[in-house]
Amino acid sequence: MALRDLVMGGSGCAVPGNDGSSSSNPLGGFADSILGSASKTQERLREMPGLTGSRQQNGPQFGPTGPLTSLPGSELDSGQGSQAQVPPEFLGRFQDGDAREFVDAWNQALDRQLPPPQLPGLPRHNEVALFREFESIYGQEPGTSNVPPVFDAPPQHVLSGFLRSFVDSSRTNAPFPAVRLPELGLSHADKSRIRDRSSIMGRHIFADRGDAFADSQVNALLQSLDIEGNLRTQGPLAGQLSEFEQLWKEGYAQSTPVQQRQIGHQPLVSLPDQWANDFQSQYGPQTAPSWVDEFHNQQDGDQWAQQFQQQQGQIAARARFSHGGMGNLNAMEPTHALVQTLSQNQDPKFQNSKFLQFVSKMSRGELIVDDNQVKPGVANQLSNSWADEFQQQHTALPETWAAEFTAGEHMHRGDTWAEDFGRTRHEAVSTSDDWVDEFSKLGVRDWADEFGDQVAKGAFGDESNSSWLESYDKFVEEQVKGEQRVPQSSRFVYQFADQNPYVGHPNPLKEGQDLFRRGLLSEAVLALEAEVLKNPDNSEGWRLLGITHAENDDDRQAIASMVKARDADPSNLEVLLALGVSHTNELEQQEALRYLRGWLQHHPKYGMLVPHDVVDRLNHAEVANLFNEAAQMAPEDGDVHTVLGVLYNLSRDYDKAIASFQTALQLKPRDYSLWNKLGATQANSARSADAIYAYQEALDLKPNYVRAWSNMGIGYANQGQYEESIRYYVRALAMNPKADNAWQYLRISLSCASRPDLLDACERRDLEALQKEYPL
Amino acid sequence: MASSERSVAEGSKLKSAQLLDLVKAHLATDAGKDLQQKIGYTYQINIAPKKIGIDEESFVVDLKNLKVYKGKCEGKPDATFSFADDDFMAVSSGSINPQMAFVRGKMKIKGSMSAAQKFTPDIFPKPSKL
Repeated sequence: MALRDLVMGGSGCAVPGNDGSSSSNPLGGFADSILGSASKTQERLREMPGLTGSRQQNGPQFGPTGPLTSLPGSELDSGQGSQAQVPPEFLGRFQDGDAREFVDAWNQALDRQLPPPQLPGLPRHNEVALFREFESIYGQEPGTSNVPPVFDAPPQHVLSGFLRSFVDSSRTNAPFPAVRLPELGLSHADKSRIRDRSSIMGRHIFADRGDAFADSQVNALLQSLDIEGNLRTQGPLAGQLSEFEQLWKEGYAQSTPVQQRQIGHQPLVSLPDQWANDFQSQYGPQTAPSWVDEFHNQQDGDQWAQQFQQQQGQIAARARFSHGGMGNLNAMEPTHALVQTLSQNQDPKFQNSKFLQFVSKMSRGELIVDDNQVKPGVANQLSNSWADEFQQQHTALPETWAAEFTAGEHMHRGDTWAEDFGRTRHEAVSTSDDWVDEFSKLGVRDWADEFGDQVAKGAFGDESNSSWLESYDKFVEEQVKGEQRVPQSSRFVYQFADQNPYVGHPNPLKEGQDLFRRGLLSEAVLALEAEVLKNPDNSEGWRLLGITHAENDDDRQAIASMVKARDADPSNLEVLLALGVSHTNELEQQEALRYLRGWLQHHPKYGMLVPHDVVDRLNHAEVANLFNEAAQMAPEDGDVHTVLGVLYNLSRDYDKAIASFQTALQLKPRDYSLWNKLGATQANSARSADAIYAYQEALDLKPNYVRAWSNMGIGYANQGQYEESIRYYVRALAMNPKADNAWQYLRISLSCASRPDLLDACERRDLEALQKEYPL
Repeated sequence: MASSERSVAEGSKLKSAQLLDLVKAHLATDAGKDLQQKIGYTYQINIAPKKIGIDEESFVVDLKNLKVYKGKCEGKPDATFSFADDDFMAVSSGSINPQMAFVRGKMKIKGSMSAAQKFTPDIFPKPSKL
């Protein structure tokens, strides 16, 4: 509630000196002082139909007339181009007694110790603040209230239904018809309150339709409720809980069950607008150094006031942000600045970019970034609880982009007001992490500024500009389509092909072995998949499938298959070695060590070397020692040297690894996978020229060895020979278009080889076009 | 890589650390000089096992002096990045581009955007597969 009411001016947030209408609240006042536009706002509000009397509404008990503050955003509705000066008398208000009251009331509200109730789902600091506020509003006993309960309230359902339909009309954008409602018996105070709020709300929810439309909608509403546009308040404004109040509170009450219960058994007869005053009379004025003072001191340069003025070009959109809830302030502020900067860029590519549209949508609150997911904003769903929305944002935003940029060393404006404000706030009141904290994160605007500036200056160069744009475009597209990438947890789950002609084959295993031997790896995969679908417990089927995937340069599928093979036959040495190798390739040291040790453990000759204790965390050196013992036992066993070579790769002892593989190759010179392992080791140790030779040996022995082709590409790319590398990647991909890594590497090589013209073909996975350009 | 040099992956369970070991060797080759010329910035990379900001290890890829080392940057880096281990691997292998990682919140950037802009997958050698 706190946030929603602070922003929207729920009567619980009234501040002494203000009139208790929707726009008078600490945050609004604060925002206005930031914007330095209060006087302008007053003028404008007077111009607004139905608001002529709003300045005069101050109840007699509320002291001097305060400026009519309004929602951040709504004051930007008009006045484009008018460079409003910061009125000195307004700033002065922060120093006079009136402001002091406000400060004190606020500090009291935060400092007052109350037993925090348990509000589910809310962080504790928020609970406290919420509860206090709530308590202060509703906690009074009926008898102590100085205002009699309201008896003349109209039937709730009539009014609330009607107001809902008004809000709903923002969704359909249909003109809101004036309807004659039954006599509701609204008091003048109610009427003026409804009028004020609906005017402001109308401006927000119809922001995209223009002011005239908003006004006509609001007028229709007011007419229906028999409220005159220029109604003047005659009774005390505060003190009566109108149906409209009730409606405003509903969204909040729904969002927090505890509070709803409170409403349920506590009569709502208190003086919501007076709680701040109550605090004040109870605790008396204090002279604590307040953040407002600090804030004012820093204000001298008018830095942000000006900045906000600059943003006035985008204002119509700004008005919407209140619908995104408080949290979106964070995202929308920067995106706003960004939109402006970007829209100044004349490049048509920019102008038409989905990125720009995306950002402008964000700045209008139509899209919000929530937990890294772009969602449609709540602008059109007012029924959603704003407090909820804020909670979501509150937790999501610190995680999301730009928040990082608040951190100190920012060169652009290291001493932004937001940071200082945040810091000062922390010093002043130790109950940190409430909404004020959110404010301190407003510094996210910084990156947008900087990013925007640099984009405008073309600092990134045209190419990189477009790559950012593409990223955003792609991102937005993904989000719109709701595409989800395969979650990490599914990585050991085997992904079968959708269509498999070998299903129903009488002997798919034999067919698969055959295809494998002939080097048709992708076909072999299908046949072997058919085999393991038919016989899920066939270790050999899974094993060969795994080997095939590894040779086809797909380690994830290889691991998935090999895990199945191991499940079927836990002591198969080839399977254990293959798993060790695949995990080594994936840089997963512990898993690799476990399988390689398992290989030795299950080996009929060397098994006795391995102690049978269960080890939680394997030590590389110990495992290597075991294998060295094995190598001494049987120096003629190529397999042991092979495993040793893999082990040394794991520990990046590349010299030893190379020596091991070379030893193994002397024993098994026709093992193409050994040649590839040697080459990969050489490439990984910055000896790519040697590696090319080893790969060539492997390919001579097995021409369709996709992994070696792909490695060859890496070898050339590592030496900066991008054109060559492209040929090899393309060749590898022609044999296995599913080799994702090779596609990624190909893209990098294409951009390094200054062939951005082919990036599109790469993106589309158009092998024909690529092969035409880069035949091998 | 000269085996006498201390590995940046020593004692680290991060895959990224192993990859940065490859980068270290890579920078010692001619490719390193290219990167020095083309990029010439110093990056500090903070890598967390699972979630950005939690149990981070810092590494520095200094393309000005062609050094890779573990720990905080000696002097001020041109840009600092934060990643989770897997996301760094994804960015360095090119399976997700840095802009996309940033937009998704998988990469945090601090410092000069123009330096950050040059941080691309082609800095990284691709691990060859055994």
